Amino acid sequence: MNTAVLTDIRPTTGDRIAKFFLGLRGFVIPILALVAWQLASQQGAVQAYVFVPLDGVFKSLIEHFADGEIPINWLASLGRTASGFAIGGLLGVSLGALMATFRPVDVLVNPIYQAIRQVPLLGYIPLISLWFGNGEPSKLLIISLAAFYPTVLNTYEGLKHIDARHVAVGRIFLASRWQTFRHIVLPGALPSVFTGLMQAVAFTWLSSVGSELFFNPGPGLGNMMANGQAAFRMEVVLLAVIIIGVTGYVTNLIVSKIADRVLRWRNVR
Amino acid sequence: MPFETPSPTAKLSIQSLSKNYVIDQKALRVLLNIDLDVHEGEFVSIVGRSGCGKSTLLRLVSGLENDYSGTIQLDGKVINAPSLDRGMIFQDPSLLPWMTVRENVAFALVNQNIPKAEKDKRVLDLIDLVGLKGFESAYPKELSGGMAQRAAIARALVSQPKVLLLDEPLGALDALTRLRLQNELQRIWLQHRMTMIMVTHDVEEAVYLGDRVVIMDPEPGRIRRIVDVPLAHPRDRASPVLHAIRDEVLKDLTNGVVI
Repeated sequence: MNTAVLTDIRPTTGDRIAKFFLGLRGFVIPILALVAWQLASQQGAVQAYVFVPLDGVFKSLIEHFADGEIPINWLASLGRTASGFAIGGLLGVSLGALMATFRPVDVLVNPIYQAIRQVPLLGYIPLISLWFGNGEPSKLLIISLAAFYPTVLNTYEGLKHIDARHVAVGRIFLASRWQTFRHIVLPGALPSVFTGLMQAVAFTWLSSVGSELFFNPGPGLGNMMANGQAAFRMEVVLLAVIIIGVTGYVTNLIVSKIADRVLRWRNVR
Repeated sequence: MPFETPSPTAKLSIQSLSKNYVIDQKALRVLLNIDLDVHEGEFVSIVGRSGCGKSTLLRLVSGLENDYSGTIQLDGKVINAPSLDRGMIFQDPSLLPWMTVRENVAFALVNQNIPKAEKDKRVLDLIDLVGLKGFESAYPKELSGGMAQRAAIARALVSQPKVLLLDEPLGALDALTRLRLQNELQRIWLQHRMTMIMVTHDVEEAVYLGDRVVIMDPEPGRIRRIVDVPLAHPRDRASPVLHAIRDEVLKDLTNGVVI
């Protein structure tokens, strides 16, 4: 005779505590680094200059938030990134869609796109500054390009690899061209388009800060960092780095949450 | 025998149908001289070894492919494109992963001018018929293989086709789910009395469900023999007559070689 043995698999209090601490694993290294940092800053005057004491960084955070330096530069960088993302993303998705849909466009544009893509963005900075000067247009161009590359590629790939079985379903039920696009091609390509947009978000933020460092002054976190360096204000440089990191992390998180929601049907197993 | 009832009109009529594929500039004969009349409300099973062109035959009847010689007619009209007259079910449920069960079933009516209220009612009725009530808002990734195939059956039926074409519909399912869905197919067929043509590898399934079993030979695909299954539906799986016919079909398929 077989007797079914039922094991209670509900989590115990011990399980919950263990899970809580396991969830904190990601904080171990940053906390150790902060402790080391603080210790290093207390070793002498030179060390205190290179490793600004944490309370100094914190004080300067409050101070520069209040005097507007952080908000102004932060919003300037964010705005620049958003504009570049919008311009480059829109053009990128459009060109990717045109290339995937119309063979002549593909034949004419794809080779030159692939060639241009081989040069890293930073490699275009000298050329762009010669053509467009050192001001805002050049920054916007670099950021737009950063959004443009991944969106072209991923939109194109997504539209090119629509499942033939899904297209057959559309034919069987006599879907019109528009209905086939709306219900089969578009949702089928969406995961790939989203991959492109997520890369674009990450790349635009990076290139926004980068372009601010390379091109002429103007508000932005990159400039805040450069100015801090010029004035030997280590805590300002540090603050800029931290704000850039946290902002990038949070925007990526937001975009991936949006993707999870829009693509909730996706089988990620 | 007195001629009291006229013989049913041949719904689907296939005459001297041949089909070639061109591969490496060589013509490959997939189907050769197929003649088959399927009556209104009849359940025809097609069995045969791989490469006998049985799936191609179904695709031609569905209109997904239209490059053939000979004639395929439904109610006297030549078939050369898909139509809602003919529903189709594949081995892969081919549900659209971004649509819920309800949206997938409703997609069959995407290009039909039917009032929304009626559309909704038909969709929900069919979901109920295939036993998926409560799963209307589930996405395909949340369904088991059997449930997904049920949804595909509902989608194929919601446009009220005259002919349902089934291309190894239960081929990818486990044995128990398979038996259960065979009974469901039989029940749906008895309830709606539409014409069904099913391609399968499973001789038992072919004999259990079919009024006739078409046995095909490969290379080039042609009809070897058509076996009648003169038993009323619903059928008893344990029936000795059924088993005798199954053995006969199996013997024929394997050229008398005992396996």
